[in-house]
Amino acid sequence: MVMAVNMQVNLGGLVMANPVTDASGTFAAGREYSDFVNVAGMGAVTTKGVSLNGWEGNESPRIAETPSGMLNSIGLQNPGVKHLCEVDLPWLKSQGVPAIVNVSGHSLEEYVSVVEALEEDGQADAYEINISCPNVDAGGLTFGTHVPSVERVVSACREAATKPMIVKLTPNVTDITEIAKAAEASGADAISLINTLLGMAIDARTRKPVLARVVGGLSGPAVKPVALRMVWQCHNAVKVPILGMGGISTATDAVEFMLAGATAVAVGTANFTNPHAVDEVIAGIEAYCEEQGVADVNDLIGGLQC
Amino acid sequence: MCECEAHNGTPAFEERACVVSNENLGPRLYKITLAAPKTAAAIRPGQFVHMLLPGFGAHILRRPFSVYAAKGDNVEIIYQTVGEGTAYLTEVETGAVCSLISPLGRGWQPSEGKSLIVGGGVGAAPLFMFTEQLVREGREVEVVLGAQTASMMVTRDDYASLLGRDPIVATDDGSLGYAGFCTEPVREELARGDYSAVYCCGPTPLMRAVAAIAEEAGVPCWVSMEKRMACGVGACLSCVVETQAGKRRSCVDGPVFNAKELVW
Repeated sequence: MVMAVNMQVNLGGLVMANPVTDASGTFAAGREYSDFVNVAGMGAVTTKGVSLNGWEGNESPRIAETPSGMLNSIGLQNPGVKHLCEVDLPWLKSQGVPAIVNVSGHSLEEYVSVVEALEEDGQADAYEINISCPNVDAGGLTFGTHVPSVERVVSACREAATKPMIVKLTPNVTDITEIAKAAEASGADAISLINTLLGMAIDARTRKPVLARVVGGLSGPAVKPVALRMVWQCHNAVKVPILGMGGISTATDAVEFMLAGATAVAVGTANFTNPHAVDEVIAGIEAYCEEQGVADVNDLIGGLQC
Repeated sequence: MCECEAHNGTPAFEERACVVSNENLGPRLYKITLAAPKTAAAIRPGQFVHMLLPGFGAHILRRPFSVYAAKGDNVEIIYQTVGEGTAYLTEVETGAVCSLISPLGRGWQPSEGKSLIVGGGVGAAPLFMFTEQLVREGREVEVVLGAQTASMMVTRDDYASLLGRDPIVATDDGSLGYAGFCTEPVREELARGDYSAVYCCGPTPLMRAVAAIAEEAGVPCWVSMEKRMACGVGACLSCVVETQAGKRRSCVDGPVFNAKELVW
């Protein structure tokens, strides 16, 4: 007889039917993948980063394939928070799946304004404050790499936010645990990591950068060991739950992140390779638990035996 | 990007496709035939498939390919080697299995009246299935094909059997048909004044030039913009093109655009 595995997790106040969401920016707001993925069956859908009035994003080329990974410099192209609330969130609500809205800004005031707009709208179930995008000048990454600015932006968003607030961290720092602690101390209900690693690609033949913006964020299986290490470090440094991501392509990858300390996981670049990845990861985590005699998926969290 | 339709109304799917043949047609030009019954039945002219190459190891991204023809259970793709992916594809052998996501994108839509098809280089391929449709529907159509040299004019015979007459051809080196770019025969054809639409696929400078000639002639022109893609389904915003309405996704808002909408 197959035992029933409890798959429900609680990510800083956000109750998820299973530990799996998508990584912001790889999945739009879910609808684009609805031919391939049972969106209603996801733990949550994390939407593409949204700013107050929308951004045009960066010039093309915006992506480059690299060994076991890819670089992107999309630059947070988005149509603004109003469009998200009018078009995307109603669709997610109709699916009955929790919505984690990824919040971006060029300034502290913009982050707060986006959170305020989402609070007023009321459809978001949680926020992921993106203080880590490497592809926007004078935004994201700038906030996410210095403890004082992390404290300022997270505290300001906390004042505006009544919903669970996840703070997304960049790996492009000397010590990610310092940033994680600052986010926790400033009111984060959870942290998510890692955003992409800053990288670049060069075309030797033309002697030019492959990306129009020269540098971009590295994602995919290539970054998984770095992401695992950082999740493990943060798990040992903070008490708030962790949404782990970075190169997760399979259920085994996801389980490894949970063992390292993640309460939930996000599938990102793998969606591009395998559009069924999210469904396969959800089913695979459950199958792993059954095989291992784990009755509650929460028992995996931080279960690494060193 | 307001409507956020993920596809043309037809649900997209993943299909495992088996390589039936993979033959060299000319300099850097190949035709791969895949047994892919679902795709063959669903694909419409100008749409593309997003292919994960078999055994391509650390390469995690799919490659978009426009479909040349759908025959029975098979899908044919004509491709040119331009980078690592297409160079690798030439080595793929009969029997290999690759994953396709299809059918993707907004393809060509027929217009009332006479149509001019303009295919530059390997850009002649994504227009063949559309020309088949126009012929099948009994519409008037003329075809202009351009290539660098005669040995690269690999779709001419198929177009000739389809039309029941030779298409107009131009080669840069004069080895076949008009000597020079195919823009000259396009200009001559449009000067006749009886065309109601131009459909062009090829290198961007060619599409831009043809669109300008069509605009002068007062004829609407449709072009196919294939950009570097990651997801292929409208989610990642890698493949955007500049339009009058801002940046739009070539994978779902295109690849076929009205040239008038483009900012180029």
